[in-house]
Amino acid sequence: MSDDSGRVPAIEVQNLTVSFGCRPALLDVTLSIDPGLLVGVIGPNGAGKSTLIKAILGFVKFDFGKVLIQGDTVESAKGKVAYVPQRGAVDWDFPITVEEVAMMGRYGRIPWWRDPTAEDRRIVAEALEMVRMSDLQQRQIGRLSGGQQQRVFMARALAQGADILLLDEPFAGVDAATERAILDVLDRAKASGRTLVVVHHDLATAAEYFDKLVLIKQRLYAYGDPVQVLNPELLGEVYEGTLRVFQDLPGRENARV
Amino acid sequence: MFEQIFHAFADPLGQTFFQKALLGGSVAAIVCSVVGCLVILRRMAFLGDALSHAMIAGVAGGYLFMKLLFAVEAHAPSMLIGSLIAAVVTVASIGFVSRVSRIKDDTAIGIMYTGVFAAGVVLVSIFRNYVHIDLVHFIMGDVLGVADSDLWVAAIAAALVLSVVVLFYRYFQLTSFDPIMAASLGMPVVLIDYALTTCVSLVVVSAVSMVGVILVVGLLITPAATAYLLCDRLDRMMILAAVFGVTSVTGGLYLCMWLDSSGGGAVMLFCTFQFLVVLVAAPRYGMLANWIRRTRMVPQQLMEDVLATVMRGGGSPVSMAAISDYLKESRDGVAGALRSMVREGLLSKNRDGVTLTEAGEREARRILRAHRLWETYLKHVGMPVADLHRRAHVLEHVHDPESVAYLDDLLGHPEHDPHGSEIPPTVNACFAGGMCTISELREGMTVRIESVGPTAERLGIEAGESVRVGPRSLGGTAWCLVRQDGTEVLLDHEAADDVKATIV
Repeated sequence: MSDDSGRVPAIEVQNLTVSFGCRPALLDVTLSIDPGLLVGVIGPNGAGKSTLIKAILGFVKFDFGKVLIQGDTVESAKGKVAYVPQRGAVDWDFPITVEEVAMMGRYGRIPWWRDPTAEDRRIVAEALEMVRMSDLQQRQIGRLSGGQQQRVFMARALAQGADILLLDEPFAGVDAATERAILDVLDRAKASGRTLVVVHHDLATAAEYFDKLVLIKQRLYAYGDPVQVLNPELLGEVYEGTLRVFQDLPGRENARV
Repeated sequence: MFEQIFHAFADPLGQTFFQKALLGGSVAAIVCSVVGCLVILRRMAFLGDALSHAMIAGVAGGYLFMKLLFAVEAHAPSMLIGSLIAAVVTVASIGFVSRVSRIKDDTAIGIMYTGVFAAGVVLVSIFRNYVHIDLVHFIMGDVLGVADSDLWVAAIAAALVLSVVVLFYRYFQLTSFDPIMAASLGMPVVLIDYALTTCVSLVVVSAVSMVGVILVVGLLITPAATAYLLCDRLDRMMILAAVFGVTSVTGGLYLCMWLDSSGGGAVMLFCTFQFLVVLVAAPRYGMLANWIRRTRMVPQQLMEDVLATVMRGGGSPVSMAAISDYLKESRDGVAGALRSMVREGLLSKNRDGVTLTEAGEREARRILRAHRLWETYLKHVGMPVADLHRRAHVLEHVHDPESVAYLDDLLGHPEHDPHGSEIPPTVNACFAGGMCTISELREGMTVRIESVGPTAERLGIEAGESVRVGPRSLGGTAWCLVRQDGTEVLLDHEAADDVKATIV
């Protein structure tokens, strides 16, 4: 990465408002994410976390505001941002193999009149190697374990060669070992200079996994170091009643003893 | 006898109407099936139904337009354009209704297509003196009465649609599989949706004259669904669907000749029959395969217990009775497990009992490795030694490669379990040519260094050199490599994880 792009934020969101009907999914969100960070997005259910991801991808219409990707508007930054969908959003019965999914990462660069080149195949093979999925290239994606499925989509994002990766709940419904394996891939992607934005649901691990945290519920409540963001007062305001369970947990155990 | 069969197949081929039906039907079926693959993957099957019904309004409209304005009777191109317009109007109004109200898509489809269909029927019946459209023909189709104009329509529609699907295959594939990513790459998702809808309208229009409004949706989705049960790739699914489309038409036409039945009906009947056969017999996603898998399935746990038991036999044959006594399992259960394991090539059977095959031994070592690592882990987290074996026996069934690798790394790649038995090394660290990290290797092996990561760079080992693995020291936390000049290099856990080597 050149010196210049080091100063331009990887993702810049300015006064973004997105609504479905009369309720805003996002309201006046302003956020600037520097390159090379692993950023977690936290917030209660329905807080607009996925909407934020989709806005950065340019998939939802804005009511107001703008999103800049490395200084360019989303419309002109097509393909610069790679995306790993939520597990529930994928049709796992789709007739498609691991290799084909990874190859989709290259689609943005293959014109419609041409077939994938040897170079594309090499990049795909490398991406699959990086997530340790080379052995299962010809497997249909429904016949993989949860962690393997997640890694296939990671490979796709890597094959895309994008500097910015967005992941929607990659840790949802995977076991501890898989979580660790995914985290390992994230760390390696970060080490290669990429910016990662990850929607995350588990507050207990958020501080450990991420460099910075975004706390949203329609509005942006905080963006910064995990220690600052994860303060009980702020969390109490955002999660309202739902977080009390989490906070009381140690207390209740003491009471039982 | 043979002559009779020969005539049954050959005679119809000599007749022009049969040739035309076969040709036109096959062309329509091929393109229907290929597009149908996208239709079923996008869950748009109902839309095909809607479009075919809406067509009648378009056909009638096109007919009337040319007749009243230019006095041209049954002008085929304008009827075709009329059908396309009707299709687009239907699709647009479906989208409109579901957008402006709380009514969901499927209901909106049901309302709008019956509405447009009804409008067509009323139109045709009001102007019955001007419009010579046979409603029954339209609804039931007449594959044996295929006119030359129908053939041309089918051929042009097929050429057009197939070129679009082949040229923009990747666009259709990605927008069907992951529209969000497609949009993020800058693909015109909405445009592609409309292109597909137009393709569906075109193929429906070209196929309606042959199989009729009611059956056309079957030709669209049944061959595609049949192929779906057999394929794991979209391109192959499309090819196979086209094959099934052609066989449906061929089989159906013969059926119709022999039984003297309705052509369209026979085609769809044969098509459905094909689907049912595949549904039962498909090798992976079929009912029979599912059933066999379920009945043959030996509980994984029992299979692993058997492997471990036979391995404890140390190479000499173990009898079934001994296994069932040792595991306290029923004879029948063990016998079933043994049969299935012999079939899978894990065990080989002889007069005195069973022994492990090479694959079985590898599997058994994997389980033993998991068992002993679990024992080490349990000791590590503070469980009394007396309880280790029992708990590890339960936990050893958690042995997916990732979990075991995690335990191994957490425990510092131990060589022995708490009872002092050796923990079998990973598979890759056993045979010549296998690649693994230094941390997985055992004393005495000779390896060639493949890559040296950043944490090990300062040690001076280089990729390509050949080294021997020495004994571990410092309580198993230091790895020793003996270089060819006799000098020794010590690696800590982190460095040993960072150097990859191939076993010579």
